Amino acid sequence: MSVPPWLSDLFWTYQNVVVSLGVNGLLALSMYVVLAAGQLSLGQAAFMGLGAYASALLTLRLHAPFWAVLPAAMLVPVAFALLVGGPTLRLAGVYLAIATIGLGEVLRAVYLNVDALGGALGLSGIPEAAPLWLIYALLAAALLVFWRIGRSRVGRAMEAMRSDETAALAMGVNVRRYRLATLVASAALAGLAGALSAHSTDFIGPNDYGFEPAVSILSFALLGGIGSPIAPVVGAVVLTLLPELMRGFAELRLILNGVVIVLAVLFLPRGLVAWRMRRRAA
Amino acid sequence: MTLLALRGLSRRYAGLTAVDRVDLDVPAQGVHAVIGPNGAGKTTLFNLISGLVAPSAGTIALDGRDVTRLAADARARLGLARTFQAVRLFADMTVLENALTGLHPRLRSSLAAIVLRTRGFRREERNAVARARDALAMVGLERRGGERAAALSYGEARRLEIARAMAGAPRLLLLDEPAAGLNPAETVTLGTLVRSIVDAGTTVLLVEHDMKFVMGLSDSVTVLNFGRRIFHGTPAEARADPAVIEAYLGAKVAARLQGSAHA
Repeated sequence: MSVPPWLSDLFWTYQNVVVSLGVNGLLALSMYVVLAAGQLSLGQAAFMGLGAYASALLTLRLHAPFWAVLPAAMLVPVAFALLVGGPTLRLAGVYLAIATIGLGEVLRAVYLNVDALGGALGLSGIPEAAPLWLIYALLAAALLVFWRIGRSRVGRAMEAMRSDETAALAMGVNVRRYRLATLVASAALAGLAGALSAHSTDFIGPNDYGFEPAVSILSFALLGGIGSPIAPVVGAVVLTLLPELMRGFAELRLILNGVVIVLAVLFLPRGLVAWRMRRRAA
Repeated sequence: MTLLALRGLSRRYAGLTAVDRVDLDVPAQGVHAVIGPNGAGKTTLFNLISGLVAPSAGTIALDGRDVTRLAADARARLGLARTFQAVRLFADMTVLENALTGLHPRLRSSLAAIVLRTRGFRREERNAVARARDALAMVGLERRGGERAAALSYGEARRLEIARAMAGAPRLLLLDEPAAGLNPAETVTLGTLVRSIVDAGTTVLLVEHDMKFVMGLSDSVTVLNFGRRIFHGTPAEARADPAVIEAYLGAKVAARLQGSAHA
């Protein structure tokens, strides 16, 4: 293959950003799937952390092959989603957000204090086993799946319950089942993203999956919008590239996130990509 | 044959019995009305029947099956549809997508079929769209399918709510004050629409304030007052019943009317 040297240089310089774009795209979709069904969960970072830790431990301690690590990285957060979701989904909106923030903080304390999980030092020496093409192939596949589901009875039911839960119930939409299913899908995707990012970066630590990344992931969807699955991914791309373009202001990153959330809520209630997808396949 | 059977149905709120030991049999056919003064418990009765409010006592049977403990969505899947007193459409969805949502319980394609866009799934979607369009045509909205539901006028929105409820061809349709806010011409159209719904094989149970509308349309009338059923019979009988007149006009006027009727 004859890749011109300048392109190769560019790639190696920005490899981290290229990986982050793909991983954050997956995280944005993991946020999208709960928001699209009218739920506010802030557990995506926690689910991501579970996927990252589960995959890293399997790789480092058991030397499991990468293809076996990925499904496990999805199953562990799914188990936690069922655990948290079961009791909290009966409650109104904001309780799920609180419960999922709680999950993230509890897990952070666990990673920090359990030596077998690496403690404050985290886990290092994770092989960079996640090929770049795989990250983008999985992102493309997730986009396609959500696109198609969005244009079916399932997509209609999700928008209906987001729009008016009582009316959705009267239409026969099993709202509780949909809530749990979307939370589980969200956990699986975030876990996958966690495993892919852990296997691209060599090191993970307990503070990588706390409140700050949880808010960042939320801001992907807030900025991009949820009118179609493409919208939150666009939000993730913008919010991943923006700090890179403003390298000099690294300390302002959090402030920037906050400003984006406030501005998006005030001036772009439907997000950057306000276009709403059609909800039928025929 | 009895489609809906209520037995001793009650709903108590702190210090108030909104629905008080109501018995009601709705036969599988025709239009049946529940009327009563403001606060008589009509809407609470509808919320009990559709499963949005849990009863304090009593039972609800749909088509011979006890549904008292079933959630609202499960009852909808058994063929119970409803509209709301204040229109509750899915505002951002198109008119056609709203009607399609009414078909939700009828669509069976699995997630795998949806993701793979199998032939069976596409056929099911085509049929669903055709049926949703039929429901829109029934209420005269067939040309508006692509518009946002929020763009409809009040009268159109009310008709779309009926189309959405009818798209799935329910056994029983509950209409909560369908004529509220309509002008006289729209009310006449609504009457024709309700007739065509009954002709299509759906039984209608409605709550309404417009007496002319109710009396001209209904096969039976049930009158509630302070949560209790005080009358059940034909519209003609209801008009002559002293208890009904008293509930609406007060005891004094009722007595005077009775007196003049005898004179």
